[in-house]
Amino acid sequence: MADALNIEGLKTFFYTRQGAAKAVNGVSLRIRPGQILGVVGESGCGKSVTAFSILRLVPHPGRIVSGRILFQGRDLLELPSREMRRIRGDRISMIFQEPMISLNPAFTVGDQLIEALRLHRRISRAQARDRAVEMLRQVEIPAPEKRINDYPHHLSGGMRQRAMIAEALLLNPDLLLADEPTTALDVTIQAQVLDIMCRLARELGTAIMFITHNLGLVAESADRVAVMYAGKVVEEGGVADIFENARHPYTRGLLRSVPLPGRRTGQGRGQLYEMAGLVPSLFDLPPGCAFHPRCPRRGEVCLREEPPWRAIGPGHWTACWLEEADAAPGQS
Amino acid sequence: MIRYLARRLAYLVPTLLLVAFLVFFLIHLIPGDPAVVMMGPDATPEDLASVRKALGLEQPLWRQFALWMGSLLKGDFGVSIHTHRPVFQSIKERFPVTITLTSLALLFSLLVSLPSGVLAAAYHNTQKDYLFMLGTILGVSIPGFWLGLMALLIFSVHLGLFPSTGFVPLWDDFWEGLRFMVLPSITLGVYMAAVVARMTRSSMLEVLRLEYVTHARAKGLSEWKVLTKHALKNAFAPTLTTIGLQYGMLLGGAVVTETVFSLPGLGKYLVTSIYMRDYPVVQGCILFIALVYVLINLAVDLLYSYFDPRVSYQ
Amino acid sequence: MIWKKLSRNWLGLIGLAVIALNVLVALMAPFIATHDPLQIDVANQAAPPSAKFFFGADEYGRDIFSRVIYGTRISLFVSVLSVLFATTFGVVLGAAAGYYRGWAESIIMRCMDAIMSFPAILLAIGIMAVLGARLINVVIALGFVYVPRFARIVRGSVLSVKQKEFVEASLAMGNSDAAIIFRHILPNCVAPLIVQATANLAYAILAESSLSFLGLGAPPPAPSWGNILSDARNFMLDNMWMTIFPGLAITLAVLGFNLLGDALRDILDPRLN
Repeated sequence: MADALNIEGLKTFFYTRQGAAKAVNGVSLRIRPGQILGVVGESGCGKSVTAFSILRLVPHPGRIVSGRILFQGRDLLELPSREMRRIRGDRISMIFQEPMISLNPAFTVGDQLIEALRLHRRISRAQARDRAVEMLRQVEIPAPEKRINDYPHHLSGGMRQRAMIAEALLLNPDLLLADEPTTALDVTIQAQVLDIMCRLARELGTAIMFITHNLGLVAESADRVAVMYAGKVVEEGGVADIFENARHPYTRGLLRSVPLPGRRTGQGRGQLYEMAGLVPSLFDLPPGCAFHPRCPRRGEVCLREEPPWRAIGPGHWTACWLEEADAAPGQS
Repeated sequence: MIRYLARRLAYLVPTLLLVAFLVFFLIHLIPGDPAVVMMGPDATPEDLASVRKALGLEQPLWRQFALWMGSLLKGDFGVSIHTHRPVFQSIKERFPVTITLTSLALLFSLLVSLPSGVLAAAYHNTQKDYLFMLGTILGVSIPGFWLGLMALLIFSVHLGLFPSTGFVPLWDDFWEGLRFMVLPSITLGVYMAAVVARMTRSSMLEVLRLEYVTHARAKGLSEWKVLTKHALKNAFAPTLTTIGLQYGMLLGGAVVTETVFSLPGLGKYLVTSIYMRDYPVVQGCILFIALVYVLINLAVDLLYSYFDPRVSYQ
Repeated sequence: MIWKKLSRNWLGLIGLAVIALNVLVALMAPFIATHDPLQIDVANQAAPPSAKFFFGADEYGRDIFSRVIYGTRISLFVSVLSVLFATTFGVVLGAAAGYYRGWAESIIMRCMDAIMSFPAILLAIGIMAVLGARLINVVIALGFVYVPRFARIVRGSVLSVKQKEFVEASLAMGNSDAAIIFRHILPNCVAPLIVQATANLAYAILAESSLSFLGLGAPPPAPSWGNILSDARNFMLDNMWMTIFPGLAITLAVLGFNLLGDALRDILDPRLN
């Protein structure tokens, strides 16, 4: 089965007066058709920039430096702009974190959905309108025929985000990039919106790259998970693998940081688990493994050389020197 | 929307009253006896008395103001001391010239400033942008009357391309009328063009950073469409406010421009009346122009809600 | 800290240099001018530029160069004083409106709105028309016209700072209103005030020269740049230099303040950070 998306060795740097910030520093990811891949990591680890790189919308002063992004057999980075524009919104669409500022306040919800439709398809305004209303209904927005004439600021946060989802899935894309889609919403609404997004995507067969820093959400909805740190993917595997059998020290640290009643953190009674240290500056990455300054189990080699990307189980990969000794034979 | 309009109008009334009061009060600032100042030192006592009576200068202040407001509301802007014609009549005759001048200046200004502002924002931090900044800063630094004089000298006198004085109404003879208006309206429009261009650029820059612009690109819209449809509509709102305010510069600048180019408009009429100490005319003109300015800003406020729908719901 | 940022801004430095030049010329006028600016010399009527008359002579034979030099004094005098006037009244009115709110604010701001309902030059013309053409009247007229801009800025700053907690804390400690206004609130207004003041200095120079050009500003024979240009109108057809130099002087002075103002705005405006 062909991949929906295959990123190979992507590097995107931001060139500023203080030097080059290596936001994405050699990322390789694969998403199968209809699959939901959760991409998790702390702020600044490069997950959003990866999504922007896929659509080639990296803002100035960022630039994609090297790598390949294979989509339906073509390298997106080699495509002429006109081709890329045809893909944006149609074959690959994106939703953003804050729906208040991602929907244009000067146009009605309907205008924006209709625009998306008519940009990529030859249909009449009336037909587009009907499709849009139908889509709004699918995302469970009540009274969609009325809502379609509302401006974004008339809608609640949850409704706006659902409208965004509607717009993103309107053209039945192969891949949806969801950049922290629920982070700005109330906790009670988050689950609802997420549920709608995943359900619709599954119905349409759309793959999702679900970017978030919230592990809990990923556990609920994703098929596979990729964990990013300082511009690289440090572990990737199926949801069960990651949550029950995480191998990279960073992943394990992340998992332990999620407070659960009754769980021992090893920090003492009543203490939350904290990973020591801070995320490194992207201008000045440490040599060797980028995580080594914070790693409780680092060894000599970790300070000198970057660990290789290895399979440690079927469909479960990581980059850590500690795993070298356990590398499964014949699977790299 | 209607509520917004009603609220806006309600707010207007006390402001207008104050405006009228300011203009009314102007005459009382004249050091010495206004009647003497207006009629000159050779006036006979009878003349002085009649002027005083005509202006109601004998009455207590508040009564004068009430009477004056009363006549204003009836459309009576007073009578010229020197021509004895109703001021409103003279204003009506000259206003079309001023409106033509300011409208053409506005048109020129927008045609130049909007595209260049948008492009400057799109080409932010490149050479084109720096040239733009240099140009606009010069545009706001050159005195209008000097620009007019130089334009007259170069294009009219030395090159003979345009006439130097005179006016032909556009509705009488469009092309000929336009020829008379080219130099004055461009001269008048330069300052506003510079200001609006900068405003457009900075407004666009702010908008272009916002997420809905990235979203528009992510939908697959061409950069051109993103700039002109999505970004500009939002960026235009604050620019519109600036345009409204700058129209005041146009109205004020028209006074100077009409003087330089000897156009028979309201501005020149005002200046001439000042020389002749015809204060009723001075008051009438100032009040009229101020009213026009207020109306224009009101219109701008209403238009604003089209570009930024969030506003009508405050 | 401001100086450090300013020193990196080329255009701002140029603006500052131009302003300094103007100030210098104004102060050293008697030493720089070659002639008495009011000295009439009919024999040299409309003399072209030469070694004797750097910028030529006007219709009365007066040396234009000297008149332009002394004109700097008038421009700076009027602009600085009128902006000072406007700032002082603007700060007082704006602070009162923003701090005390209620009917004080309503009255003050309505008055400010009323003044701003007039195109600036128009109101200045009107005031000059009734007060008569004297230099001090120009200062008063322009100052009056500019007050609302400063009042609005100060009111806005006061309103935003007032909401912050440290003001409540200060009141709770028993500080008087005036103390709070001066020590806590006003320092926050300084930045936007400086930006507005520099911009206004530029407007004031343009306004003063326009008023003088119309005969409603500095009374002749004062060598205001506007007057020099107004005088030149009768003779300019064959003597273009009469208009070039004074106009350049105005443009240069205004440019200086605009460049500096732009640079200061870039540095001080919090929105751009």
